[in-house]
Amino acid sequence: MSTTFGKLVKTELTLMMRDPLVLTFVFAFPIVTMLIIGGAFGTNPTPGFDHTNPAHWYVASYLTVVIAATGLVMLPVHLASYRERGVLRRFTAAGFPRWSFAIAQLIVGLATTAVACALLLLVAWPVYGIPAVHDAWRVAVALPLGAVAFVSIGVLLGSVLPSARSAQAVGLLLFFPSFLLGAGGPPPNVMGSIVKKVADPLPLTLLTNAVREPWLGLGPATGSLIAITALAVVATVIAARRTAL
Amino acid sequence: MSEQDVVTVRGLRKAYGKRIVVDGLDLDVRAGEILGLAGANGAGKTTTVECIQGLRKPDAGVLRVLGYDPVTHGAQLRPLIGSQLQDSALPDRLRVAEAIDLFTTPKARDGGELLEQFGLAGRRRSAFSSLSGGERQRLFLVLAVLNRPRLVILDELTQGLDPAARRNVWAAVRQLHQAGTTVLLVTHEMDEAEELCDRIIAMRDGRILDSGTPAELIERHARRATVRFTLPEAGTPPGTSLLERLRRTEGVQDVELTGTRVTLAGDRRMIAYVGAALVSWGPVPPDLGVHVPDLEDALLRLLENDQSAATPVIPAQAELIGGRQ
Repeated sequence: MSTTFGKLVKTELTLMMRDPLVLTFVFAFPIVTMLIIGGAFGTNPTPGFDHTNPAHWYVASYLTVVIAATGLVMLPVHLASYRERGVLRRFTAAGFPRWSFAIAQLIVGLATTAVACALLLLVAWPVYGIPAVHDAWRVAVALPLGAVAFVSIGVLLGSVLPSARSAQAVGLLLFFPSFLLGAGGPPPNVMGSIVKKVADPLPLTLLTNAVREPWLGLGPATGSLIAITALAVVATVIAARRTAL
Repeated sequence: MSEQDVVTVRGLRKAYGKRIVVDGLDLDVRAGEILGLAGANGAGKTTTVECIQGLRKPDAGVLRVLGYDPVTHGAQLRPLIGSQLQDSALPDRLRVAEAIDLFTTPKARDGGELLEQFGLAGRRRSAFSSLSGGERQRLFLVLAVLNRPRLVILDELTQGLDPAARRNVWAAVRQLHQAGTTVLLVTHEMDEAEELCDRIIAMRDGRILDSGTPAELIERHARRATVRFTLPEAGTPPGTSLLERLRRTEGVQDVELTGTRVTLAGDRRMIAYVGAALVSWGPVPPDLGVHVPDLEDALLRLLENDQSAATPVIPAQAELIGGRQ
């Protein structure tokens, strides 16, 4: 890592931690909603939750909410705001390579996700307990792949949308339906058939399945894992082309 | 191209869609000079400097900047140029000291000393968003000179600054010049160009209208000075005799009397002769006013002349829409 690039990553990480949008959406929102909804359904296994502890169901699901918040809300707004205000031009004119900013965002997005996930588990542990991981390697593969996919989507959205306001509008419009249907809302077993049809192919649903099912021992979710792998590859390639890596 | 040239541009052309922004532009920037690019909004100044920096790819033309082609060697070139770009910013929450650290390269000057020199030492821990307009511009200047650039590009340097802040920024640019740095200054503030630039290139619609030192441009395009005053006893013999005398004064080309108000126009040298005539005639009129043409007058005249030359003469009988000419 060159000195210039290292300084850019360090600076961007520092700035992310000062951003109220990041602190709210990536750190506070998933934890608060997990605590509320995890407590709403109690801890007794029910058919609606595939005979698992509902609180554990949500603990295993909410790591993907962190990933989606980073990719769909934090990064698009951050990048679009930089482009709109001429920050990117200033970096380019100062001699920062064009690729360095996109790669820095990728690293910052993944680091933010990792820290926010760790914090979520740290809060969940004394309240609901951390469910045992049944198939650790699948979870360990799905989480970083999902993070790469959503962070790439975020970089792509940030490079396409013209302003911070439009990025915020589009980001929230994508995030909340995905959040309610694919991770933090009601379990698929209690959804109506039409809603379930809409929810099933959503990227966040696929990612949540790929994490939650092997974690709670509900199945390997191989199809979802393959879909997330494909999404990660496609989103990264398009984002790289768009940002002229 | 001479060895003294830091920038050489030949036949630069750039269009955005169908709109041609720079149209066959040639320019040279000599080592150690402050060259001003002046002109109205939309003249193509910013696009020209963006092409020089390698931030935009020209449609046609040959550019050589510090020995590099900005199109093919932009990455090598950009670290050699310090720039203050129009409509650019730093991240809101980035602190002044962090900005210095981020942009510092191994060959950089002492950032702390520069902050001291530009009056920002007390703002090291302040976020960019909390700086005033003048402080932001001074920070951009610090960043522009931090890495000992061989060429500094300043685009709309004092836009939106109050008069005191402008003077401070001008002093900083003069310091750069005295240190031998080559400066390309983009501005539509003519007092700024006149104050700072060794040479000025006046642009319109992506073309060069004229170039020269401020004095040369004024001499070529705005030679006429005016002197105005009120006659104390208009129409009386003493007043009439003064007017007759002024008509015959060296350099006076026009004498206009509106009521008791006299306006004399002519070569700048007439100011001295008219002053002498007024002193010898009697009490100097208390409302005596003199307008000496400046660069703004010269540029306005230049643009007016170009406009009238560019406007096609349409015969009175011609039909403008869907007809014959």
